Amino acid sequence: MKNIVFEHVVKAYGKNVIVKDLNMEIKEGERLILLGPSGCGKSTTLRMIAGLEELTEGNLYMDGRLVNHVACGNRDVSMVFQNYALFPHMTVRNNIIYGLKAHKMNPEEIEKRLSEVLGMLELKGLEERKPKDLSGGQRQRVALARAVVKRAGYFLLDEPLSNLDAQLRLRARKELVNIHSMYRPTMVYVTHDQIEAMTVGERIALMHEGKMEMLDTPSNVYSRPATVFCARFIGSPSMNIVEANYNSGVMSIGKQSVRLPEMWCRIADKNVSGRLYAGVRPEHVILLREKEEYAIEGTVRYVEDYGNRYGVYVHVEGDRNELIAIRDSDIPQPGEKIYIKVAFDKLHLFDRESEESLGYPDEIKKEREEYVYPD
Amino acid sequence: MKIRRSQAGWHILLLFFVFVMLMPIIFAVSNSFKTLQDAFNTVFQVIPLNPTLENYIHVFERLPFFQITLNTFLIASTVTVFKTITSLFAAYSFVYFSYKGKGTIYFIMLTTMFIPFTVTMIPNYLLISKIGLRDSIWGVALPQLADVLGIFLLRQAMRGVPKALIEAAKLENVGNVKIMRDIIIPLVRPSIITTGIVFFINSWNEYVWPVLILKSKENYTLSLALQMYISSEGGTEFTIAMAVSVMTMLIPLILYIIFQRYIINTFTMSGIKG
Repeated sequence: MKNIVFEHVVKAYGKNVIVKDLNMEIKEGERLILLGPSGCGKSTTLRMIAGLEELTEGNLYMDGRLVNHVACGNRDVSMVFQNYALFPHMTVRNNIIYGLKAHKMNPEEIEKRLSEVLGMLELKGLEERKPKDLSGGQRQRVALARAVVKRAGYFLLDEPLSNLDAQLRLRARKELVNIHSMYRPTMVYVTHDQIEAMTVGERIALMHEGKMEMLDTPSNVYSRPATVFCARFIGSPSMNIVEANYNSGVMSIGKQSVRLPEMWCRIADKNVSGRLYAGVRPEHVILLREKEEYAIEGTVRYVEDYGNRYGVYVHVEGDRNELIAIRDSDIPQPGEKIYIKVAFDKLHLFDRESEESLGYPDEIKKEREEYVYPD
Repeated sequence: MKIRRSQAGWHILLLFFVFVMLMPIIFAVSNSFKTLQDAFNTVFQVIPLNPTLENYIHVFERLPFFQITLNTFLIASTVTVFKTITSLFAAYSFVYFSYKGKGTIYFIMLTTMFIPFTVTMIPNYLLISKIGLRDSIWGVALPQLADVLGIFLLRQAMRGVPKALIEAAKLENVGNVKIMRDIIIPLVRPSIITTGIVFFINSWNEYVWPVLILKSKENYTLSLALQMYISSEGGTEFTIAMAVSVMTMLIPLILYIIFQRYIINTFTMSGIKG
């Protein structure tokens, strides 16, 4: 089982704690994304798997074996570095086979693997070039080739696409997924880009300030965020989150109140203090010209044109909050009075103290998809 | 090349410096081919009126000159090779290993750079005498097998090598010696060569230390041989001194011509880009 298990792992540099009590299991053969803003500890976590950083506390198991003190060369990992870390004085060919030669693999096998990987990553004809004579995309593919050619059980990538332009990134993303599915190593991929995380990952581990906020499939991370941080981090523009107070079936936002449907009352009742955050994604905010039940009042402040759709900034009456709503057409004008409603199956409630999700009603929970592990 | 008026002053100043530096060399070369008589009459004549090889012949006849050159070369190359190797290993450890007190050790080592030679001269002399290496070229070389300057320069160069390159190699289970051979040395080669040349020239030109240790003529180095002709014993034979000077310059000059592109590289490059 080429799995990875973190058990109460802590990483600190002096007093500066980078990773705080991390517990997670990365399954054999899956594509797991470590996602988070810069400084959240995701790269450090990856480097601990690689063996490039030592653990301060806790245990790390790979393939069932405790690897706290196993040198990085003995962990069966290959890695793509953010700046590729190609050896500038070696040709593409030597860059790719350096590791194989170091492992004293027989020359025939080396040649076989080299030509296979050169073909796979469209690097044929560039074998004798030095990294400085390659384009950014080619360098990235050489770095990938160097990692793939080893056929290690663990395939680690540290922001491998961050130096590419948008178009190349799209292509490289597909390439990565293809390569992974060819021999299915356990793949851990660090990124701060949520689109990359969503498209490449089978599961996403969202990290924030050294703590793991959520570990789930991309669609669950999007539709059932476990914490306020997850809710804000995923999605663009990010989720509207407003302070709300709940008391026996009625939720008040600022000076306005709205009755909650029965299924949400069951959830909100679990929170004794009634101090909540209510969240709704901009694309799920419904703007109305006429007052309806469950709607609150607001004024349009500003309209942003995204080209294909519009972002409408609405000030909620009697509150300091501003909401963003996404509209395709029928755009209200700034200054216009408007009514705001939420599709209740798209609502999110969080505890204001712990910032954790209160959960979701059973009625909409059944949509939640279960992650099926690869064989 | 067009020279802008504002730059003209600088160019004149630089030309003056070039002249000041070249003058003694031209003077030495030209006078080494003159007879003593001519030299006194026409000391600033660049092309000798009656060119002669007499001075050179004299040097080879009167002194074991080949042996002296060989001595100088042996001392300088031993010192250079050892200083470079020890500097490489020390710099590698300062850059890539983490151990307790690394910063302190490095600081202490750097401060030794500021201890004048005269302070260590006597203890070293006593030590070398005790070991029985007085009047031996190995006695000259022995106290000079490591050098802080080299550690400093190579450490700076190695810090310019991206850490990820080393990590990439470590992931392939490559040991430190092999990493140094395959990655570090090729990447910091210009710095290694420059440091080596600095060591070589310094040792080649060294005077005070060899004069303390070396007594017999067959163990002399070139600077000691040169001193023989400009000291009170033979101060009048200055054309011969010039011939010795020219020959002293020769080997470092050849080395410079061979390695010049590396030297210029090191001074123009601030670091190695990955």
